[in-house]
Amino acid sequence: MVSLFERYRLSSSYDEMYDQDKNIRPHWEALKNNLEKIGLEQLLTKQKEIDWRLEDNGVTYNVYNDPGGLNRPWKLDPIPLLIEEEQWKVVEEGLKQRCKLLNLLLQDIYGEQKAIHDGIIPMEVIYAHGGFMREVHGMKSPLVIYAADMARGPDGKIWIVNDRTQAPSGLGYAIENRLTMNGAMQDLFEDISVKRLYDFFETFKSIFQGENQGRNHDPLNVLLSPGPLNETYFEHSYLSSFLGLTLVQGQDLLAKNGHVWLKSLKGLRRVDTILRRVDESYCDPLELRQDSQLGVSGLVQAIRSGGVGMINPLGSGVLENLGLNPFMPHLARYFLDEELILPQIATWWCGQAKEQAFVLENLDRLIIKTIDRMGEKHTYVGKKLTKKELKVLRQAIIEQPHRYVGQEEVEFTSCPTLVNESIEPRKVVIRAYTIAQEDNYTLMPGALVRVGMSNDSLMVSNQFGGSSKDLWVLGESRNVPLNVMFKPKSEMDHSLENIPSLRAENLFWLGRYLTRSILTARMIRTTLKYMTNASRYDQAANRQTKEMLSKALTHVTMTYPGFLDENFSLSVFEELASVSLNGSRVGSLAQILMMLSNTNTYAKNILPLEASRIFEKMSREWSHFCNEKKPSPRLMIHNLDQLLMQLMAYKELIQESLFADQGLALYEIGSRIERSQLLISKARALLTPVHDTLSEYEILETLLITCESLNAYRARYRSSYEMRNVIEFLLLDINFPKSLISEIDGLLKIFPQLPKFKNATYLSRYEEPIFEAFSMIRLSKIDLLSSLPGDKYIRDELDSLLSELSKRLLLASGELSKTYFAHYDE
Amino acid sequence: MIYSIYHSTRFYYQHEVGFSHNLIRLQPRNTLTQEVINFDLTIEPIAAEIEGYDDFFGNHLHHLLVREPHMMLHVVAQSRVKIDFDALEKLKETRQRLVDLTYAQALERMMFLTSDIIEAKQFQLKSPLLPIATADIVNYALVSIRPERSLHEGIMEFMERIFHDFSFVSGFSDLSTPVETVFAEKKGVCQDFAHFALTALRGCGLCARYMSGYIETIPAEGAEKLFGTDASHAWFSVFFPGFGWFDFDPTNNMIPANQHIVLGYGRDYGDISPMQGVVVGSGVSHLNVMVNVERETNR
Repeated sequence: MVSLFERYRLSSSYDEMYDQDKNIRPHWEALKNNLEKIGLEQLLTKQKEIDWRLEDNGVTYNVYNDPGGLNRPWKLDPIPLLIEEEQWKVVEEGLKQRCKLLNLLLQDIYGEQKAIHDGIIPMEVIYAHGGFMREVHGMKSPLVIYAADMARGPDGKIWIVNDRTQAPSGLGYAIENRLTMNGAMQDLFEDISVKRLYDFFETFKSIFQGENQGRNHDPLNVLLSPGPLNETYFEHSYLSSFLGLTLVQGQDLLAKNGHVWLKSLKGLRRVDTILRRVDESYCDPLELRQDSQLGVSGLVQAIRSGGVGMINPLGSGVLENLGLNPFMPHLARYFLDEELILPQIATWWCGQAKEQAFVLENLDRLIIKTIDRMGEKHTYVGKKLTKKELKVLRQAIIEQPHRYVGQEEVEFTSCPTLVNESIEPRKVVIRAYTIAQEDNYTLMPGALVRVGMSNDSLMVSNQFGGSSKDLWVLGESRNVPLNVMFKPKSEMDHSLENIPSLRAENLFWLGRYLTRSILTARMIRTTLKYMTNASRYDQAANRQTKEMLSKALTHVTMTYPGFLDENFSLSVFEELASVSLNGSRVGSLAQILMMLSNTNTYAKNILPLEASRIFEKMSREWSHFCNEKKPSPRLMIHNLDQLLMQLMAYKELIQESLFADQGLALYEIGSRIERSQLLISKARALLTPVHDTLSEYEILETLLITCESLNAYRARYRSSYEMRNVIEFLLLDINFPKSLISEIDGLLKIFPQLPKFKNATYLSRYEEPIFEAFSMIRLSKIDLLSSLPGDKYIRDELDSLLSELSKRLLLASGELSKTYFAHYDE
Repeated sequence: MIYSIYHSTRFYYQHEVGFSHNLIRLQPRNTLTQEVINFDLTIEPIAAEIEGYDDFFGNHLHHLLVREPHMMLHVVAQSRVKIDFDALEKLKETRQRLVDLTYAQALERMMFLTSDIIEAKQFQLKSPLLPIATADIVNYALVSIRPERSLHEGIMEFMERIFHDFSFVSGFSDLSTPVETVFAEKKGVCQDFAHFALTALRGCGLCARYMSGYIETIPAEGAEKLFGTDASHAWFSVFFPGFGWFDFDPTNNMIPANQHIVLGYGRDYGDISPMQGVVVGSGVSHLNVMVNVERETNR
């Protein structure tokens, strides 16, 4: 049998599995045997299974502006990276030391700054770094999660490449990688003992227990995320359920009374600790970046007054600082009286004259980096720069030397990786995680290994774009049965009253926009169909009907002036196309679909996968259609039909899969309010004016079609279309579920499901207007509503009733937002 | 001598605001030459929370939360500040002693990293609102600030040249106007002149900070002073190693003394902007500021 590694070519100076004479390193022996036993064909099948498992668990990585779609599937290679126990012990000691050292330095930077005043580090290394936050001076919160990027150098030793202290990412992916390997690659573990992660997980979960000591209420800890568009959003939702945290965004929180509060349906709940995944400078638009949409204004003040804890603390980004590298050995002696255990990549800080001269002399062979990653570009590979680029860089270094370092170009080691149906060497970088609690430091005995895209890519990207591996630390660990390990649940602590307001609001708008897009699409299609049909009866009546219908469309979509414009210059079809396809026109179908798409993005993690797929397909097809230059009416009708089918399928999936505790009530309230409002606009446009007999017939028929009520009407009245009957049927008939009164009655019945925290004996502020609306419509008399005082063209009674109803719906919607979404007056 | 300062700011919003966080920097700080005797902040509508604290630079801030629905926020800061003439006199004497320090010597002294020099050096680094000085801007300063010349004398001349070369034109510039534009057009207001000077001086390797405060205006002979016709003022301060910080006012071509009242200082305007707020649901449509600086006693 041919070995899997027969054609494995060594290309870097150090390969993890083979030495330079292609002798296998002993600690890889067992894994190689297992791989050979599995064989290439099986391995490829296993890779497919891994892909499937990851996809099934929804493990994704978002790439901004990626043509392949927002959610890129996470890639895991079936071959792990192995590290011997002895070597890992060195890494463990080294990382604990480094974490402790960085923690002491952090306290010093935001405290007395002794290290600066005693001349251990130059002030510029701290003060010229974009992560130094004057706003948090004196707060003295410790670093809790520390990540280090490491790689093996040509000498076989493990080196520190980067420190990640601000809001380190990747831990969730590392955990998921291990769980996937456990599930899919059982055969590979044979005869190999791999350190288990269980104890580390317990430590990780316990970081919030310490934070919550001494509180006299149920602890509430949250994970603050920038939201679903963030590249590692999967991880935010994963870690939040892993750690039992509520997943929130800035808008979910508000700061007052020296505390931070979660807006939930039940009201405000005090937050104890925030696990922060929002970049620190974006956390508070009041004191930090004023353009931030992701933060909570007043948050820094709440932290300052001790009302809320944060992991990692604000300001810890200053430690992600390449300018510190040359001074780390001195700092270790200064703070710990120890020598640095793990070596770092040779780094020259340009803030010193000699070092600056060296870097400028060797600009074309060094890697130049800014000390922070704040600018647009922070890494320059000297040998890849043009003469002109080198000149610009040289000038930038001379202007602000303390902002730059030069680093030796280091060749990372390679590790066997399954690529294109064979095993090839690929460069690897290890990201390891340390948890600090008081003076205890715990290193995860495993890591996220990132794999370079091609074998000659010398630098593994900072982004996670490529593939990944699991890291196996060889050695025994405490025996823990595999199945007590964490199993991710989709949602944890969420009974209806605890769901964050932002999600509740989002579901409310999902209901509104989905309903609006369906009804708008249906109305446009019906109007189009009428317009394209040859005149059936009489020309004049026909013209009047067309005019009424098109004006009604303008009213319902509020795309004024539209068809109401006296100096209307477009053709009817051009205007219909614009109302459908012009995304920049407020009220157009295309624009409503865009709003729907936003709410869909935010609701995605609670909707079934099929719903997302249908939505994506629909969006693709719709945007393709929107690019049509001059679509024929027939093509438009066809596409509207397609769209409606997809929207209806999406709607069905939502209604079927959302359950009460997830906030179904909010979705239903949203869609009922929207249906009521749109029915009112249609009725005002088509039922209040007087038409001549022939066009009245057609208008009523079309109206019933857009309400999907034609058959029901026929069954009920067994007569032709009469104004009085249609008014009665669509507005007043409480036995017809699509009538206005039924919609409003439905609202009154759903409201009690919402948690009430005011006086339950009386109606709430959002119930009152709906209750009034219900009574008004229930008490109306059909004769009065349909009557026409002699010379008038408008049914006044009907019109004023509809107008009053509309006002009350609007009021209720506003009060609902105030009560459940905003919480400002609480 | 005691000044009584009245500083009123009215924010008019486009829509009703029900919840707004604000940072206010209107309480003057104590300096070597001034002492704040009392300070009073009045907010309308009544603020739900007011909390005072000091920022990194030692300026006094108030954090303010207003939770009553309002269309207009009115903040009135009233302070009484005592000017210490003895201290002013002492400072003047020190100034006379530092004239011997040349620019070259100053730069050399800055290499010795004593604690006060380390503290000062943050005001030499690039600050958020100001660019790195272009060669033209540095050269403009270097005409006056020459290696073997007294640094103080050089800066006095530099200040005087700004006063003569630049014209005071309000409405030409705002916060987003680049220093380069102010330099090219040679016009702006006190804040622009201070920002220009800071950029140039930092380009010369000096530590310079932005001073925010008030200046007493004296009506023309015979005219009566109208209440509320003063304004906020800005100037700059330079660090002389071994001596400390000394102020210069390029807008009036003078060394600030008993007519200048310091509110606070920072790297640039951004560190000491009098008010910044985050309101929910509305932007500010316009604002109305009124300042009055008045002598209570002459001595």
